[in-house]
Amino acid sequence: MKFMLDMHDKVRHHFEKGGKFEKFWPLFDAQDTFMFTPATTTSSGPHVRDALDLKRVMITVVFALFPAILFGIWNAGHQHNLATDGAAQGIMPDILMGLRYVVPVIIVSYAVGGIWEVLFCIVRKHEINEGFLVTGMLFPLTLPPTIPLWQVAVGISFGVVIGKEIFGGTGMNVLNPALTARAFIFFAYPSQMSGDAVWVAMSGDAVQGFSGATALAIAAIAEPGVPLTNALTDAGLTFKNMFLGTIPGSIGETSTLACLIGAAILILTRIGSWQIMAGMVIGTLATAGLAGAMGTSVFAQLPPQYHLVMGGFAFGCVFMATDPVSSAATGIGKWIYGVLIGMLVVIIRLANPAYPEGVMLSILFMNVMAPMIDHYVLQAHIRKRKARYA
Amino acid sequence: MDYINLALKAIFVENILLAFFLGMCSYLSQSKKVESATGLGFAVVFVLTLSCPMNWAIKEFLLNKGALASWTKIAALQSVDLSFLSFICYIAVIAALVQLVEMVIDRFFPALYTTLGIFLPLITVNCSILGASLFMHERSYDLTHTIVFGFSSGLGWFLAIVALAAIRKKIRYSNIPEGMRGLGMAFTVTGLMAIGFLGFSGIDLDKEPAPKAAPVAEIEADVVAEAVDLEEDA
Repeated sequence: MKFMLDMHDKVRHHFEKGGKFEKFWPLFDAQDTFMFTPATTTSSGPHVRDALDLKRVMITVVFALFPAILFGIWNAGHQHNLATDGAAQGIMPDILMGLRYVVPVIIVSYAVGGIWEVLFCIVRKHEINEGFLVTGMLFPLTLPPTIPLWQVAVGISFGVVIGKEIFGGTGMNVLNPALTARAFIFFAYPSQMSGDAVWVAMSGDAVQGFSGATALAIAAIAEPGVPLTNALTDAGLTFKNMFLGTIPGSIGETSTLACLIGAAILILTRIGSWQIMAGMVIGTLATAGLAGAMGTSVFAQLPPQYHLVMGGFAFGCVFMATDPVSSAATGIGKWIYGVLIGMLVVIIRLANPAYPEGVMLSILFMNVMAPMIDHYVLQAHIRKRKARYA
Repeated sequence: MDYINLALKAIFVENILLAFFLGMCSYLSQSKKVESATGLGFAVVFVLTLSCPMNWAIKEFLLNKGALASWTKIAALQSVDLSFLSFICYIAVIAALVQLVEMVIDRFFPALYTTLGIFLPLITVNCSILGASLFMHERSYDLTHTIVFGFSSGLGWFLAIVALAAIRKKIRYSNIPEGMRGLGMAFTVTGLMAIGFLGFSGIDLDKEPAPKAAPVAEIEADVVAEAVDLEEDA
């Protein structure tokens, strides 16, 4: 490390104002601050003394994602081996096979998104930070392991450029960039991304990889008369399996357990808002309970807790909905925002035959509504204070 | 339940602004402040709620084939079909209504009247108002359905413009690339909002057949013409 630091200090003057590579300062700065504590201090007030800055926030989210990433790698390989050989092969072959599918997706996401990020930073002269590491990792985790890599590239380009950079970069965006990217390829290539067929990584042809229906698709087309839990169990989708995540599906979304570990990290470090997560769970349970009491379809009769482990609920709840930039920022607003997402998830799942997976779309919708919620919460607060001190 | 479905459909599934892109001009220009957006939103809701049923009555009692004969009891009118006048009549009703709204707002909310400025009379040519009347015509709604549809279309428009205004308020101090500032950003945000609303598309609430393509194409031509006007104005 000492060697690296010396080298950095030696070439630093080339990148500083007036130096040879002045234009590439954002790149140097990024490299420098990723690895070392910058020597610069704020020269004028106000000062906040805190170990936590934007860079640490973002890198903590990446750490919180690790359980989901590791589990996703293992599961992709596990499902592949199950589908091709019909039997589990042990943990090492599973992981190796999973790496073969997951690593290229992540590399493409980081490389293509990173190029855009760097390009914008150099042209617009703002700093590159770890925010992109989060977006570039969240996005591949919502994808099936068999996705064609060019779609990953198209998606992350749209997410980074339209979803974030044209708003002015990190912290300015309205929608979550990873979700924007996901929604974009979801609507642009519906036949491959429809979300009702399972994505099992099969050898050879990547696109023809699926071999069955997801839990949500089974639920959407369930025959009346038989309780849905039985139909799911027949397909190998018990509550326990779906909670642990040993089912086919998107890379990072299958395991509720892995997401819960991430949630614990985010809540303990106070980076993710527990109000939003709790609101979302409450909203989902309440709406699903209500639908079970009133609805007649088999899907509506599904026990509410199943909604929490199906599809991308846990992943969306922990990592997507709690994005501090695109979610509501006010205290009461967070509760409203979370509860409404939860309600929408169940409504879209039950009512919309086109999209069995409602989590991503309902979070995106509430991203759109979040500034409005904040505005009204603030106005109400102002009115209350005015009335109190009038 | 039928009415609730229709309302939800008009607000979320087929949001008149974000699914059909009707009423864009005032939507883009009056969304700089949440207050004026709210005001214009209310005005649109009001005009839509009144204009749809009024146009419905005109269609049912004056324009449809044999409509005149049904209440005048004159047999000679049985074959009269005035439905070719529907566009003109609808526009006239809307124009008259907007005059009324303008006077009411001028009298009771002068501040709002000043903020809205020219865009209040321009509601007359707001395509979402005429669009809702034409959808009513096209889908042959009955009276209650028309009222519900008009009101909830307005509500959908209201929701969209207030959401956009709040977003524009949030990004007001963002470091947006120069070429994208102002209208460019508003257009982009509208597109992203439409993606957000896409989650509802495909929800089949009342098993009603989709509107036929022809009138939508006409309306789209209107939108284009209006956009050209707006550009010329600018």
